[in-house]
Amino acid sequence: MTDGAAAQVVDIERMPTMGSLYPVAGVRAATSRLRPASRELPATTLRTAGVVATAEHLTAYQHLLGESASDRLPAGFVHVLAFPLAFSVMVRPDFPLPVLGMVHVANRVTQHAPVTLGTPLDVTARARDLRAHRSGTQVDLVASVHADGELVWEGVSTYLAKGVRIAGDAPDDERAPFVAPVPTGEWRLGPDTGRRYAAVSGDRNPIHLSALGAKAFGFPRAIAHGMYTAARALADVGAARGDAFTWAVDFQAPVLLPSTVSVRVAADGDGFAFAGWDRRSGRPHLTGTVGPA
Amino acid sequence: MATPKTPAPRRALVLGGNRIPFARAGGRYAHASNQDMLTAALDGLVARYGLQGERIGEVAAGAVLKHSRDFNLTREAVLGSALSAQTPAYDVQQACATGLETVVSLSNKIRLGQLESAISGGVDTTSDAPIAVSDRLRRALLDLSRAKNMQQKLAAAAKIRPKDLAPSTPRTSEPRTGLSMGEHQALTTAQWGITREAQDEVAYASHHRLAAAWEAGFFDDLVTPYRGQTIDGNLRADTSLEKLATLRPTFGLGLDTPATMTAGNSTPLTDGASTVLLGSDEWAAEHDLTPLAVVVDAEAGAVDFVHGEDGLLMAPAFAVPRLLARNGLTLDDFAYVEIHEAFASTVLTTLAAWESDEFGRARLGLPGAFGTVDRERLNVHGSSLAAGHPFAATGGRIVATISKELHLRKQRDGGTPRALVSVCAAGGLGLTAILEAA
Repeated sequence: MTDGAAAQVVDIERMPTMGSLYPVAGVRAATSRLRPASRELPATTLRTAGVVATAEHLTAYQHLLGESASDRLPAGFVHVLAFPLAFSVMVRPDFPLPVLGMVHVANRVTQHAPVTLGTPLDVTARARDLRAHRSGTQVDLVASVHADGELVWEGVSTYLAKGVRIAGDAPDDERAPFVAPVPTGEWRLGPDTGRRYAAVSGDRNPIHLSALGAKAFGFPRAIAHGMYTAARALADVGAARGDAFTWAVDFQAPVLLPSTVSVRVAADGDGFAFAGWDRRSGRPHLTGTVGPA
Repeated sequence: MATPKTPAPRRALVLGGNRIPFARAGGRYAHASNQDMLTAALDGLVARYGLQGERIGEVAAGAVLKHSRDFNLTREAVLGSALSAQTPAYDVQQACATGLETVVSLSNKIRLGQLESAISGGVDTTSDAPIAVSDRLRRALLDLSRAKNMQQKLAAAAKIRPKDLAPSTPRTSEPRTGLSMGEHQALTTAQWGITREAQDEVAYASHHRLAAAWEAGFFDDLVTPYRGQTIDGNLRADTSLEKLATLRPTFGLGLDTPATMTAGNSTPLTDGASTVLLGSDEWAAEHDLTPLAVVVDAEAGAVDFVHGEDGLLMAPAFAVPRLLARNGLTLDDFAYVEIHEAFASTVLTTLAAWESDEFGRARLGLPGAFGTVDRERLNVHGSSLAAGHPFAATGGRIVATISKELHLRKQRDGGTPRALVSVCAAGGLGLTAILEAA
């Protein structure tokens, strides 16, 4: 399945809640081993029309992430609105990878135009570009948001299913070694960071909520949501990002909670570059850019 | 039809000042509130200049760490003082530039003829700092107070978690970066390659110059003892470069560069209050007061420290060149330069920026370096490293001290000696001013 194929569009009347999707994901995790795994992506695009955010939800998100509490929806908040639909694609029986345990490795957002509170949003989500990776299989979940028929926001979330092998050559993606730059700030992330972002994002993946839940998936402690850290970096860029921009992030290593993350968010070329790393080891957690659309 | 007779701009004068000795946090002022200390400084000023029962044009003061109940801190201090109760007042808050900003704004009102007299001031206590409840508890309590029935009340109360009960104390870290002021300055120190030795020398000079001024009786008519404190509590007259060199670094420990900032070359948390008496020539003459200095001009600045473009405390490095250009002056035209010692390295990074050809060209748009400050003219009676730094009170300490010095210098040598005052502040702010002998 490749991008732009004549996809079958399935309308979903109301945006699903993440709370209703995780049990489905759990059932899928339990039963997937019983089925011979198909390695084809579904040709389905899910669509929910007329999604409207509430002011209360927006305020809670803005306060948590350090965004100015304007009536403009932060790009990370639009991701939160669209995420249940993307997740719905992943929990469908015809999705070829085990949704629980997949690792969010990269995220690319293009904000084409500002989105204002109260505007009904038409959200679509689909999977594309199933591909081999040196440590498993990667897939992109693409979400698009239209307002009044105009494309205003696009997000591409890349996930890695470790250990799942498909045919094809894994491209080399050797990154240049990370050298910790001069910090511009630090994030003191308390033990409840995952629970607090779960409350505004709805993403209650157990790895973010408690050490017990994290241990079940091989992490010694709860880990911060990648999109929480990426959205903090976007908030740190501030109003300088403009009305239309790209926001790209690569997640290198999870942030085990609690943690103090050294960060640099600074002008770079015609936009901004950001990075977050472990202050003691210098190991990177995330790197990314915010630039002109 | 009446002819309007709006007064023409005129000069605003510094006529005097009074502060209480600054005390180390947890010291003799541990249980004194901001209002207590500001009233004490104000009453000392009233007594010193015979202002009992006087209706002053306006009093402006502020505190950086201020409880919300002190929304009218300055007015309350006025009501508790010996000034006429008809003296208006207002509060100002501009982080560590608060005290200097009250001098600037009040002197502007005097220049415009809106005021004949004014008192500027500032106070801070880190010992009696306000403690807030957590945001979650605060929201729950507010929801509870708005609840109309038992069900809503229970719902609001049910949101409170045990950990929400922990008090939230004021932090000195920058809200947008999470770094403390010391950690920010450590980055700037490293950027400019300021050595430990150079910082310790600034601290040494500060203590010895302040001690010499106390010894000479310079502060006898500028400071009123309070609560048994008769001299600045942080002053270490016997400190030496050897002693300073033994202190362990406290900031910049996580950086690749050597950590150089210690408790000795950084300003400690301090309690205290200061006031400055301002007025027009006419008011000074009517009250038989000797003008000390003229408030000539001022310039505020700010830097984008959030994205690491400049150090948190570097705004004055930009504001001063603008201020001097507007007034047709260079650094050589100043007999005195007062740079608030938030840290010894704040002084040194500011001087280094001014001495840098590259900074002058690339950042200030000048043909080369902005200029050099003769160290003999810098902080001649010591500064915050020795006196301590009760945030909002520092501007008043500096203005009163240097105004008296300008007056003495003019009496001694004639001419019109000038002083440059520079105060850095949280939030990447800076405020600078020019004073000259009256």
